[in-house]
Amino acid sequence: MATVDQQKQLQTLSDEYQGFQTELQEAISARQKLESQQQENKSVQKEFAKLSDDANIYKLVGPVLLKQETAEAKSTVDGRLEFIEKEIKRIEKHISNIQEKSEDKKMEVSHYL
Amino acid sequence: MASSEKGQTVDLASLSIQQLSQVKKQLDDEVQHLTTSYQSLLAAQRKFRECLASIKNGIANSTQDKPLLVPLTASLYVPGTLADTEHVIVDVGTGFYVEKNVKEAGEFYNGKIEEVGGNVKSLEGIVNAKGQNLRVVEEVLRQKMVAANTSSNPAASAS
Repeated sequence: MATVDQQKQLQTLSDEYQGFQTELQEAISARQKLESQQQENKSVQKEFAKLSDDANIYKLVGPVLLKQETAEAKSTVDGRLEFIEKEIKRIEKHISNIQEKSEDKKMEVSHYL
Repeated sequence: MASSEKGQTVDLASLSIQQLSQVKKQLDDEVQHLTTSYQSLLAAQRKFRECLASIKNGIANSTQDKPLLVPLTASLYVPGTLADTEHVIVDVGTGFYVEKNVKEAGEFYNGKIEEVGGNVKSLEGIVNAKGQNLRVVEEVLRQKMVAANTSSNPAASAS
């Protein structure tokens, strides 16, 4: 029979577990967003690779299309892709971190039951 | 009755009614979400097809000297004519637009249409598989509930 103290402890632990689950969900959805951005940039990169150097590339800045140099646009997209890949790696580490912590919490909670 | 899902062999008959309901709800949500994605893909594919059609029909040489109305805002149109029937500017994504000639633009859109079409097909397969699993779970759930009812109302089943 759990004493009031133990019950409170259990409640705190299980709240913390819930917190981890929510954090995990958020991290996973952030990762998905990054992945879709990565896909889009990859397809733009492929498209640029097909272009000859004198093809006209325009960038949308607000309501205006600005002409850009092919080399500059290509390097912008490449830079973006690199950044996204780094972000994805970072988030994946974060996700496995949270998963570990949440597993530990689960163990703690189950010791109380 | 055993049902294996993606390497995880779960004996559905061993799950309680509550757990079965949970599984069913989870599958329900997944099917819902996948169906919405499927619709979005179809809509995207339709848009690309429209782009292709408007290139073929609108930018032909027949429209070259015809007077057009060009929208400056949502309620202001200005008369003009088509200056260039050979080149179009195509949205390739992430805020970049590329000038292409009509042939290249056609190829671009065809490529996109096929790519999206491929995704649509594989999504269709997944939705069907999940739907199957959902039906199986529903069946087992129903049987369990019937069994639970009959075991708690022996008088009713005896008659």
